[in-house]
Amino acid sequence: MFDNLVTVLSKTDADYSDIRYELKKEIIISFNGREITQLSSNSTDGYVLRVLKKGGLSTIAFTDHKDANKVVKKAEENAVLISKNIDEPVRFAKSEVVVDTFLPKLKEDPQKTTLDEKLRLTKKYNDIPLKNPKIATTNISYREIIRDKYFANTEGSKIREQLTTTRINGTIISRDGSLLQNIRVGIGGSNGFAVLRDQEDEFEKRTSIVLQLLKAKPVNAGVHKAILNQSLAGVFTHEAFGHFSEADLIEDNLSMRKKMKIGDKLGNRAVNIIDDPTIPDLLGYYRYDDEGTKARPTQLMKNGILVGRLHSRRTAAAFNEPLSGHCVAEDYRYAPIIRMGNIFIQPGKYSFDDLLDKLGDGLYILDAKGGQTSGENFTFGAQYGYLVKNGKINEMVRDINVSGNLYKTLQNIDAIGNDVTWSKIGGCGKGQTNIRSCYGAPHVIVADIVIGGT
Amino acid sequence: MRRLLQMTSTISDRSEIFSSKKVTNFVLFENGKLKNIDTDLQHGYSLRIIKDNKIGFAYTKNLRKRKELLDNCLASLKGQVEANFNFPLTKEYPKLTTYSASLNVQSNRDLVEEGQRICSFLRPRINGQFNITAGNSIERLRIMNSTGTDIRMRTSQYVIALSFVYPNSYAALRRLFACTDFKQIQRHELMMMIDLYNHSSKTVKPNTKRMKVIFMPESMHTFTWRLQSATNGAAVYEKQSPVSDRLGEKLFAKELTVYNDPLNDAMPGARSVDDEATLCRNFPIVTNGVLTNFYYDLYYAEKSKVKPTGHGFKNAQWSGEAISLKPSPSLQHLHIQTGKESLNKLIEKMDEGIIVGGALGAHSGNIVNGDYSIGLSPGLYVKNGEVIGRVKDTMIAGNIYNTMKKIIAIEDTAHLTHTGVFPAILFDDVSVATSK
Repeated sequence: MFDNLVTVLSKTDADYSDIRYELKKEIIISFNGREITQLSSNSTDGYVLRVLKKGGLSTIAFTDHKDANKVVKKAEENAVLISKNIDEPVRFAKSEVVVDTFLPKLKEDPQKTTLDEKLRLTKKYNDIPLKNPKIATTNISYREIIRDKYFANTEGSKIREQLTTTRINGTIISRDGSLLQNIRVGIGGSNGFAVLRDQEDEFEKRTSIVLQLLKAKPVNAGVHKAILNQSLAGVFTHEAFGHFSEADLIEDNLSMRKKMKIGDKLGNRAVNIIDDPTIPDLLGYYRYDDEGTKARPTQLMKNGILVGRLHSRRTAAAFNEPLSGHCVAEDYRYAPIIRMGNIFIQPGKYSFDDLLDKLGDGLYILDAKGGQTSGENFTFGAQYGYLVKNGKINEMVRDINVSGNLYKTLQNIDAIGNDVTWSKIGGCGKGQTNIRSCYGAPHVIVADIVIGGT
Repeated sequence: MRRLLQMTSTISDRSEIFSSKKVTNFVLFENGKLKNIDTDLQHGYSLRIIKDNKIGFAYTKNLRKRKELLDNCLASLKGQVEANFNFPLTKEYPKLTTYSASLNVQSNRDLVEEGQRICSFLRPRINGQFNITAGNSIERLRIMNSTGTDIRMRTSQYVIALSFVYPNSYAALRRLFACTDFKQIQRHELMMMIDLYNHSSKTVKPNTKRMKVIFMPESMHTFTWRLQSATNGAAVYEKQSPVSDRLGEKLFAKELTVYNDPLNDAMPGARSVDDEATLCRNFPIVTNGVLTNFYYDLYYAEKSKVKPTGHGFKNAQWSGEAISLKPSPSLQHLHIQTGKESLNKLIEKMDEGIIVGGALGAHSGNIVNGDYSIGLSPGLYVKNGEVIGRVKDTMIAGNIYNTMKKIIAIEDTAHLTHTGVFPAILFDDVSVATSK
């Protein structure tokens, strides 16, 4: 494969070029209620060529190797067209030349597990909620994606890396008359099929919650003090803060770039945030990004001060900051863009009981249900919550969507727990979908959070 | 493809092949400056076979591995997914004008020049940042099936997407222009947005209360997603629609009419047939507030014992790749019927209220129940009929089955968005929560 890639690169007349070929294998098994609606096993492939010429950077994704000559010519034309119409030529930060093959060790390789076994396990978990008559239906799927990536550039790097992602996830829907409630359920990871085994308790627990939601009251709209559980605090870290640590999102937004200045104090001094794609067994684990740069841990916030940023080769040069190895593509259809790997709030000193005592009266809200950011403002849903009175958890509440201001919220993080957990299902949709976006956090207390209610 | 179809005849009772070949070019201007030029050449094929009334599905990016594609399709029969339908024989269908040859020769240089022309127009008029994407695409689709259908379609699309970005954020007023041929955006199409943007530069802090709210076309998906979720034939069949037994009932204000109009070839992407070769038609979902229809593909129509309605599309949301998806019930050409008053008139009707320029988190919350709870990205604040600023840290929440009963007025012009063609709508009595 590398010979083919190097042959394509040899046809370019550019200052720099790279090419990525990917073979993507995907298995999907879907249940809607008791009915299986899809079982499929497929492989697809494609190429992404990038050309840097005279300060213009252009990308072309293509399917057919026979198009390579046409693609090279077009990419160079595009790059030159850019170069003639920009003030600042694009430069790439210097990156180490790497020749390596990285096939991460898996705990039970899903390629060696039979399709029958995948179907059996998915059905077993899907059957758990369906035992209850108040469960209207389920949408539960097994999904396995194996990306076999080959990267080469004109600097001499040749890297093969294989990323395996497995998950069983979906939605459980309960119904009482015309009232419908739903809850997400998901197990998965990047380290093999074994992570999916023995997870009956998770499906039992989620079923119980979605049934309780039928009796829960809608939360009151307004401003609340709340404990965010690990999932919600992780989504906040990813959505509200993490995206603006991605240099490509702020590169041309001058006001955001000014706000996200390295060295500025943006958060409470208790807040420490890091992104580290090199932690084995976490969902966002990888060794090289899709520019061939070795991934490295990047401290983003230290004692509330912004100390680092996630970069591509282009933005590292433009910001004159260190490379971080965070330029990643969804698959063979896309140029790589800056993405988080495993981002997390580092643990503090409080136990969960300590946090409840500190909260006194307020809300305890749990589990992310989608999130979105728009600069300093963010919104995300919580799947359920509880009223807390005098430090004790009381009745369940539902219909919780939270909105806030990034900088105020970072300041308003009053206390940080010592109990970090990590997400198991990805799906960040920054232009492309990153199924391995992973976030982590302990429980945290946040003052003055706006809750929409209904 | 014909050879592949012949190969399927030896291993199945019925079969269908869908293919797509698409070339896309995009030119991106950020902060009024050229940033990227990207090109995308993608091919793909998907195959469905039915054997003993069980359906298999597989896809590939090229046909050099036909045997592997067939093997994958046969393996998927293991799922025992029932399919008692046949693929339709569609020979006669409306001829639509979906392609313009001029886009075939439109170069990236042309796109750059048009982007620069728009930048030059906006630069002296916008007190802030603006981004522009200019692009074109040409797609060839083909649907063949064992019943005898062989339909080829060619579509072209020229797109301009504008966003006027507020400081310290990516909250933006956005507008999308698209057609099958190159068309310059006219001054009047931009001026309303420019005025709204320039009048909302100041930050204001309203109190938490119920007030009038205008949903702009770009935030209308907050409602239409929930309506689409509830009227989807799959949701009705799977008992996850709150309105499954309410066809014919008046659920919304009489001013509201929502319909799917795939035959309107003034819009890009018009279709005579869906991705399963079922004939498309103008299809009402809500008529004068009355729930009129549920929409189906072949699979769920057969399950529900109703006729397919021509809504089986490979619904590639969230960057999904169309060929890797099975058709499912999908409203790809959604419209809300316009009203009688201009957007300015709608704003004048507000003593105090919010204009939702964009919705943050419309995809979260209890969508199946119709609940919504969104951040504003941006939210413009109106006092005594005039936009006087924009709000921060504010949420709007409700349930579409309540909110959509409270329509005061609908704009007289519909605008293309990524999710449909919608006018702005003024609602009464919506919950607005804000921080102090």
